[in-house]
Amino acid sequence: MDPPVSKIIERGNMEISRTVVRKTKREVSRLLQNVLTIPELGVLTAVVVVLIIFSLLSDKFLHVQSFASILVRTAELGIVASGIAFLMISGEFDLSVSSIFAFVPVVSALLMKSGFPFVVILIIGIGIAIIVGFINSQITVRVGLPSFITTLGMMLFLRGLVLALSRGFLLPFAGDKIAEYILAGTITGFFRFSVIWSLIICGIFTFVLTQTRYGNWVFASGGNPNAAYMAGIPIKRVKTLNFLLCSVVAAIAGMIAFARLGMVAPQQGEGMELEAIASAVIGGCLLTGGYGSILGAYLGALMVAMIQQGLVLVGAPPYWYRAFVGFLVVAAAVLNHLVRVRFKARLEER
Amino acid sequence: MSTEKLLRMVNISKRFGKVQALNGVDFDVNYNEIVGLLGDNGAGKSTLVKIFTGVFPPDTGDIYFEGKKISLKSPQDARRLGIEAVYQEATLVNTMSIARNFFLGREPTKWGFLLDKRRMNRESIEVLSQIGVKITSPRREVSLLSGGERQSICIGRALYFQAKLVAFDEPTAALSVKETEYVLEYIRSLKAKGISVVVITHNIYHVYDLADRFVILDRGKKIGEFVKAEVTPQDIIEVIRTGTASVLEKRGRDGSP
Repeated sequence: MDPPVSKIIERGNMEISRTVVRKTKREVSRLLQNVLTIPELGVLTAVVVVLIIFSLLSDKFLHVQSFASILVRTAELGIVASGIAFLMISGEFDLSVSSIFAFVPVVSALLMKSGFPFVVILIIGIGIAIIVGFINSQITVRVGLPSFITTLGMMLFLRGLVLALSRGFLLPFAGDKIAEYILAGTITGFFRFSVIWSLIICGIFTFVLTQTRYGNWVFASGGNPNAAYMAGIPIKRVKTLNFLLCSVVAAIAGMIAFARLGMVAPQQGEGMELEAIASAVIGGCLLTGGYGSILGAYLGALMVAMIQQGLVLVGAPPYWYRAFVGFLVVAAAVLNHLVRVRFKARLEER
Repeated sequence: MSTEKLLRMVNISKRFGKVQALNGVDFDVNYNEIVGLLGDNGAGKSTLVKIFTGVFPPDTGDIYFEGKKISLKSPQDARRLGIEAVYQEATLVNTMSIARNFFLGREPTKWGFLLDKRRMNRESIEVLSQIGVKITSPRREVSLLSGGERQSICIGRALYFQAKLVAFDEPTAALSVKETEYVLEYIRSLKAKGISVVVITHNIYHVYDLADRFVILDRGKKIGEFVKAEVTPQDIIEVIRTGTASVLEKRGRDGSP
């Protein structure tokens, strides 16, 4: 006897619902894959977590003033970190950014004292950054030294010059007020121009990296130099240009800090190279190159700044800041690594 | 039959320091032909392929492509002529997406610098599905693909950019049996499109069905060259093992064509 019609329909419905479930499952897993492969995922989560923790610990953390000071710090570190991330993705490092961050302002301060117009000073400053970046790149790319060594030497060398030129004293920002205002003046209330500059720089780097042909070359040069060579990509030129860009934006960040503080200390930016690399790693950049995000590095800088501010507000001794950042770098790197590895393993099981 | 060869290499020698990697080797590839390039480790197979794909120049010897004498200064020169290399570790960037890899170094652009991503995504997937590879998203990172899928990207690339000669270096190394089948099928699809192929391999059984002709190298010299009808896989193994084609002559077969 035939089963009643209702049974057949029911069975059909079950079939349909089963395929629907299968389909949704596939959709969800695809969505999950897409989300998990976003390089900024880790840092975004971390920013939210840190935000929640500190706003629970201190009621002042979510205050406008607190945020303004976080953003000021983010702007300067974010610019340097964007440059570093761009260079790191092409497979190289630059430790000398912290010294350029001080060297260009110190030279500018001396030129200001001699009465040079600001535009000329800016051009000279960027010129210096280009020369430094060029030396770094040529020793790395042509001689074949690891950039870690090349730029470590450059970092020490420039810091020595900074101390010699300033004779260990603070130098004032003696340029015109307009320049000072445009670099780091306050727009409304607590917001400063520097935040806008940093967002523009981060935006340009992000655009170039993700939307242009050059960006494809940057990824390939860091990800697999052999494949890049086989594809006819001028790796040496790509790396050279990235060294220059990294250097130039570090100089710009240094000038912003100089204008904001109204002076430059000979120890300005000390330790910043590691904070910038930390930001980039927290933001999802692979130390080995070929993978990462500029926006991620910028968010990494935001997180470093938030921790710095948060610890002050919580009343923790300032020594803890470095320890905390150190912990975060490793935690972020482990997390990023695990996500990538786990995810890969699961795909391979299929 | 036309006397013109697609690729003709004459008296090629190459030395790396004390090692004579190639010693006066002649090597030809005909139009629409699959050549199996065989030999033990260190026989000079990879060196020979790297010379005609532009990775490095020979010390002596001439190369002719489609009847014209050529000198290759870079892999790019070779690519421009239509000679494509498929070394899976050397031609893909694992941390980049399928579409980005597919067009690496030959990106379609708008206004000369802006990546035409829509086109990259669409066309890479199109070509891959043509050769029978199912890939869900062109944005997927290459490190997440299987060995066979990776090979397929290189093969799709050769098809898309209308290569005339494609060289494979151990395409079936480290692949599962099923994947090996796929890759061999992709290589056949190249020949079906009129493209010539050179396959370097250790594993005669993988290329025996595939290839039209076999060239055997030993310590930088060519020791044998056979059309498939002349030899069995066992014969070739014997030649590689003994390092001479005279083993076959004893049985009344002529080693040199």
